[in-house]
Amino acid sequence: MFRLRRCPTGDPGRGLGVSHPAAILQFETEIPDTPAGAIGLEPSGADDLAWILRYATEHNLPVDVRGGGSHHGFGTPDPSSLVVSMKGFDGVVEWNPDDLTVVVGAGTPVASLEAILAERSQTSVLPEVPGAATVGGVIAAGLSSLRRARLLGTRERVLEVSLVTGDGRMVTAGGRVVKNVTGYDIPRLTVGAFGSLGVITSVCLKVLPVPEASATILLDHPGQAAEANRPLAVLESNDRVEAFLWGTEPEVEAVAGRIGGSMRRGLDWPADPEGALRWSLRVPPALVDTAIGILPEKWRFLAVRGAGDLRLASDSRAGAGELRDWAESVGGSLVVVKAPPSALPDFDPWGRPPPGLELQRRLISQFDPARIINPGRLPAGL
Amino acid sequence: MSLIADLRALLGDDRVLTEPVELHIYSKDASLMRGAPTCVALPDTAEEVAGVVRIAERHQTPIVARGSGTGLTAGASPINGGVVISLTRLDDIELDVDNRAAWVGAGVINLDLSVAAAPYGLYFAPDPSSQSACTIGGNIANNSGGAHCLAEGATTSHVLAVEVVLQGGETVVFGGLAPDPPGLDVKGVIVGSEGTLGIVTRALVRLLPLDPDVRTLLIDFPTLEGATTTVSEVVAAGLVPAALEIMDQNMMVAVENWLHGGFPTESAAVLLAEVVGEPEAVVAEAEVVSRIARANGAREVRLAASEAERAQLWLGRKSAFGAMAQVSPDYYLHDTVVPRHVLAETMTEVQAIADRHGLVTYNVFHAGDGNLHPLIPFDASEDGMLEKVHQAGQEMVEACLSRGGALSGEHGIGLEKRDLMPGSFSEIDLDAQARVKEAFDPAGLFNPAKILPEGSRCFDFGGVRREIPDGAWV
Repeated sequence: MFRLRRCPTGDPGRGLGVSHPAAILQFETEIPDTPAGAIGLEPSGADDLAWILRYATEHNLPVDVRGGGSHHGFGTPDPSSLVVSMKGFDGVVEWNPDDLTVVVGAGTPVASLEAILAERSQTSVLPEVPGAATVGGVIAAGLSSLRRARLLGTRERVLEVSLVTGDGRMVTAGGRVVKNVTGYDIPRLTVGAFGSLGVITSVCLKVLPVPEASATILLDHPGQAAEANRPLAVLESNDRVEAFLWGTEPEVEAVAGRIGGSMRRGLDWPADPEGALRWSLRVPPALVDTAIGILPEKWRFLAVRGAGDLRLASDSRAGAGELRDWAESVGGSLVVVKAPPSALPDFDPWGRPPPGLELQRRLISQFDPARIINPGRLPAGL
Repeated sequence: MSLIADLRALLGDDRVLTEPVELHIYSKDASLMRGAPTCVALPDTAEEVAGVVRIAERHQTPIVARGSGTGLTAGASPINGGVVISLTRLDDIELDVDNRAAWVGAGVINLDLSVAAAPYGLYFAPDPSSQSACTIGGNIANNSGGAHCLAEGATTSHVLAVEVVLQGGETVVFGGLAPDPPGLDVKGVIVGSEGTLGIVTRALVRLLPLDPDVRTLLIDFPTLEGATTTVSEVVAAGLVPAALEIMDQNMMVAVENWLHGGFPTESAAVLLAEVVGEPEAVVAEAEVVSRIARANGAREVRLAASEAERAQLWLGRKSAFGAMAQVSPDYYLHDTVVPRHVLAETMTEVQAIADRHGLVTYNVFHAGDGNLHPLIPFDASEDGMLEKVHQAGQEMVEACLSRGGALSGEHGIGLEKRDLMPGSFSEIDLDAQARVKEAFDPAGLFNPAKILPEGSRCFDFGGVRREIPDGAWV
């Protein structure tokens, strides 16, 4: 026998209370690429967003959440009824540089955040060539830095997350300190979850100081990088292998000398390869060479050595099936990052379904019971 | 058949403990709270763990996983009775040198992994002070930290995959060597879940290359504040040393009493700082740390001259809690974290709180992370002492939380800090956490009564009261 206690739900959208289409139109705005029949909405804060999501849950309306739109090709999204722009969640909320943490709105472009942090020689260690990508978008899509072999991925950066669940609850988990085991690690669970636990509104990130010196070194072969104990990154693409170093001046100088090769000052990060089709190949770190060796002809690649993260581009899908079969046979995956509509019939964007599917479904249904946030983005219909 | 008969049919008589003295040994961890296990199961394999879980579920009995029992928050205390599953026999280590990783059984001792990896130039970064006794499974349950997680992150940063026995005895592997497995990062939420979501039987962990060079500095200060300010300024100067640990005078005296390691017991505090990396880097960084320390009144900066001296200093640091045994029969320990820029003022206030209650604190803590460990020695047999210590402890927690701090940095919540959770989270936040628990364990059999206060899920189960032993601080 149990008694039901009323769950507190917060202010229902500035007292609008009753669900009514007229009420939702106050948030209406023009958003590029909004499908015919869908409404573009721009909430200005978490209260508005909570109201919109509750409305969507009540009426079973799929919501497409937009950050910078730069990684909008994952999965096979359901046709959306509402398109929600996160532009209203832009800006640094709290930054105490001496704590090496920053609280930032999810709609903040990564490039803007980095520019602000750079004023005090800090970095959020999010993707280096972000384009228009936002902090929330990068976290939701689980995209990581090219420095991940040394500094680890985006999962390691999110200390606290505030999100609005599908049924409009405003939840905060984690904390604004660098070390914290208070409760379940929901922040980590939101990385790569494509909003399925809720739309991220703000996060506290662990930032790092940028050391005084850095260098980019062109190598003849990847083996040279072994001269550095733990280089910041070793990146290989179709036409070059480069090592990236940072640290104190004497250290960078000395390590660059040991590695050899032609050195330039600063960190000159390459962009992911471009093409009609873009892919993410994820394999055990020791198999990066093997992966590069068996890439289909004419595919472009950027491999993060030591991390097993290869970003690929191609003009056609020829060879993708074999590559996926191999990747899955070694415990990895080949994921479609971007493809023109209907370019890949009969090719699942994620491949083999992930383990513990029922458990994952139960988890998501606790946060987005009507499954309205970005449905279809995750693998296996999650 | 009875629970015990079922378990004996699975494991044999000798791997199901029921004698009173055996049950007593498994009735608590290193905290002050004792439970009463119905029996103790000693499985050898993940399949047997799954079998034990299925049997316990059939008998609707709580399941409490246990490693070495070094936990400090009653995480492994079987507070509602039930089956304690000891995982110490799952102790295989399978190194994967090419991928700088290892599959390890939950029962592997933390230090044993680094020892096994050392011939290949690798080590396991998380190094709790109890690393020579605690298990990897326990580290995963608590997302344990340690002195060196300042630069390298806590346990969760080093776990690539977990093999976990879920409700119904279903065994699933989440994660792997390849980065970013598609779907939710279930592994990420299992790490740090204190055995409340399932039982981790094996884990794939990241190993790091041993550092080519290291400098360990012991810096003594005439004031505790000088040491804490130095830490804040080193971090603010853009350095991320491998470790920044502070020990106050009380603690130094306790350690020096048995170690005779040359700690300057006449000083108010010492800072143990370690920088690692390329030879050129450690020289430059040690210089920066020394300069900042001297500007903050440091009297002497001692550089460990040999590996033996370095090991001696770390032995002093890591055996500090053990040294408390000579001071008092009991001690109470907090594990809060504050933003680093308020570290010095928080320490001052913690001291003032202790003074107000006529108590003494011993401090040894991960200053670089802002992770405090004020330790209050006391004798629980003294009338009213427990209440006094409890009250002071509450005030210390409030002092940290009011400065934007967190309730626990590395020891976990368990039972001991469970009812302090509403100080950190709103009702809605706690409900969200309770929903995670519900998704994994709707029957509530995995380590019940831990982490989340009663009623977190907005559904209150009327009529059923949990049993809390006398003297438990909840």
